[in-house]
Amino acid sequence: MELLTALAVGLLFAIGVFQVLRRNVIRSVIGLIILSNGVNLFLLMTGIVDGIDPAYTTATGLRSDALPQALILTAIVISMGGIAFVLSILYIISARYKTADMDEVEGLKN
Amino acid sequence: MIKNHLALLPILIPLTGAMVALLLRKQRRLQAGWTLGTMLTAFAASLWLLAEIWGSGRPAVFQSGGWPAPAGITLVGDMLSALFVVMTQLVMVTGILYALGSRDTVVKYPTFFPLFLTLAAGLTGAMLTGDLFNMFVFAELLVISGTMLTAMSDDRYGAEAAYKYFYISLLASFFMLLAVGCLYVSYGTLNLADLAVRIDTQGARLLLWPGIAFLLVTFMVKSAVFPFHFWQPDFHTAAPTPVSAMLSSVVVKLGVYGFLRMTTLLFVAQAPLIQAVLVGLGVIGVIFGGLSAIGTHNVKRMLAYSTLAQIGFILVGIGWGTPLALAAAIVFAFNHSLIKAAMLMLAGYIASRASIKSAAFEVVTGVGKPLPGAGVLFFVGSLALAGIPPTNGFVSKLLLFNSGVEAARFWALFLIGLASILTLIYTIRAFGRIWWQPPAAGITTKPAGDRLLAPLILIGLVLLLGLWAEPLVGVAYETGLWLGDPAGYVQAVLGG
Repeated sequence: MELLTALAVGLLFAIGVFQVLRRNVIRSVIGLIILSNGVNLFLLMTGIVDGIDPAYTTATGLRSDALPQALILTAIVISMGGIAFVLSILYIISARYKTADMDEVEGLKN
Repeated sequence: MIKNHLALLPILIPLTGAMVALLLRKQRRLQAGWTLGTMLTAFAASLWLLAEIWGSGRPAVFQSGGWPAPAGITLVGDMLSALFVVMTQLVMVTGILYALGSRDTVVKYPTFFPLFLTLAAGLTGAMLTGDLFNMFVFAELLVISGTMLTAMSDDRYGAEAAYKYFYISLLASFFMLLAVGCLYVSYGTLNLADLAVRIDTQGARLLLWPGIAFLLVTFMVKSAVFPFHFWQPDFHTAAPTPVSAMLSSVVVKLGVYGFLRMTTLLFVAQAPLIQAVLVGLGVIGVIFGGLSAIGTHNVKRMLAYSTLAQIGFILVGIGWGTPLALAAAIVFAFNHSLIKAAMLMLAGYIASRASIKSAAFEVVTGVGKPLPGAGVLFFVGSLALAGIPPTNGFVSKLLLFNSGVEAARFWALFLIGLASILTLIYTIRAFGRIWWQPPAAGITTKPAGDRLLAPLILIGLVLLLGLWAEPLVGVAYETGLWLGDPAGYVQAVLGG
């Protein structure tokens, strides 16, 4: 299970970084979303003590830690707000320049 | 008991004030007055907090909900936090004063003042919290407020600059979450004091160094340290004047605060390597920022690059790490906030008087001729930025160089001493172009613009703290001593 999740985190990061480096702004925002999911999965893994038991299912013995799940909840809400905001700014920019290509958005270049 | 609750007030007052200000969105004048009143109250509360901590010699620790430290959410006001909060709220008050006298359309938006207050609450909260994850939450509040304020700027590139910054900031906040995860999985706690104890007693775990690296990168992005500075000049130039004055002065200090906490509380055993990195990047920042500031064609952009250089000085102070150097870094940070806020407000004032609203040199050359008052203020601010008496910039540079001599770090000292001459070159050149050169054909000065009250107050403080530096330097020395003794912080939070 650990190996599987570790591979999944790695895969999400790889795809996310690849998409972030694209010139198309919409793809790069999608890259951000994938990266945020990778980070959240990593955070979830920090709380798993023994396999797949969720928090407080067994009264004794090993069980997963509930705190990282609370952290993820907060992180998800924040990144949702953040990505909604990024998309809304993106809308303004792409409407002004009539393009989704980063290289053609050049107002700041001089 | 009252003292411990005081740590809550500087966060709670702006946050509540922001909600009320949103309700007052229909009555613009009332909303503006309410915002100023809220910020002044918060400033008074933070001064009270500092006085209480200074008087009693113990940090104010607020355990929310009465849950004891490692389990509950803790707010800790020690000397460092309280001093930084006082600095933040002082500059925020002048920022609101400037916004009240500004002619920009952005200050007329109903959400401008509430966002200003949440900016203050986020920054204050990130500095007062005793928990790594809450620092992330408050930092996000700060980033979102700051970006929104820039996105609705009068500058037509505001949205682009905001996009650039927010994108980088989201990536930085992922780094912070990764750091949270690394440290949590290694030590099982996120409370700063508890974390410091466990890292000290349990030694380095596998994921400690990645955690340190992620945290360093996060704070470097927040502070715009070289090589993570590329978003900063655009962002600070495109923001509305009152907002850019906040961003370039106090908001970048969040990273400085983070570095101080990292080297003196969290990772004391690992500090030498972190400090070496900070000194190296600081020296590069001083030189690179100075040279870039000379090469710009816009006053605001020049000041944004100058922030890069000045943050470099502060990092060098933190990197030297002796109590004297830490005190010097804190004094430098405090003084830089006042100077840079004043200078950016003056740049915005000049832009508001120029024929088109811009701070580019070709637009503002000669605009200062009929404005000798602003010229005097800008000149004093330039002297302060370059570190010439009788201003507070001199005090901070003197302390920093003094601590460098004491710590016998002559190479870094030589380089930053040389690079600080660059400051004089670019500030005096800007002054000369705006106030001495005759205006080019077609350049006129508008009869009315923003009000000068806020920069006047700040420059007054610059002179006051230059002539009467003992109180601030005394507080900073005390803070440096506190930082040298993390056990006091830990004991105050965890008890026992």
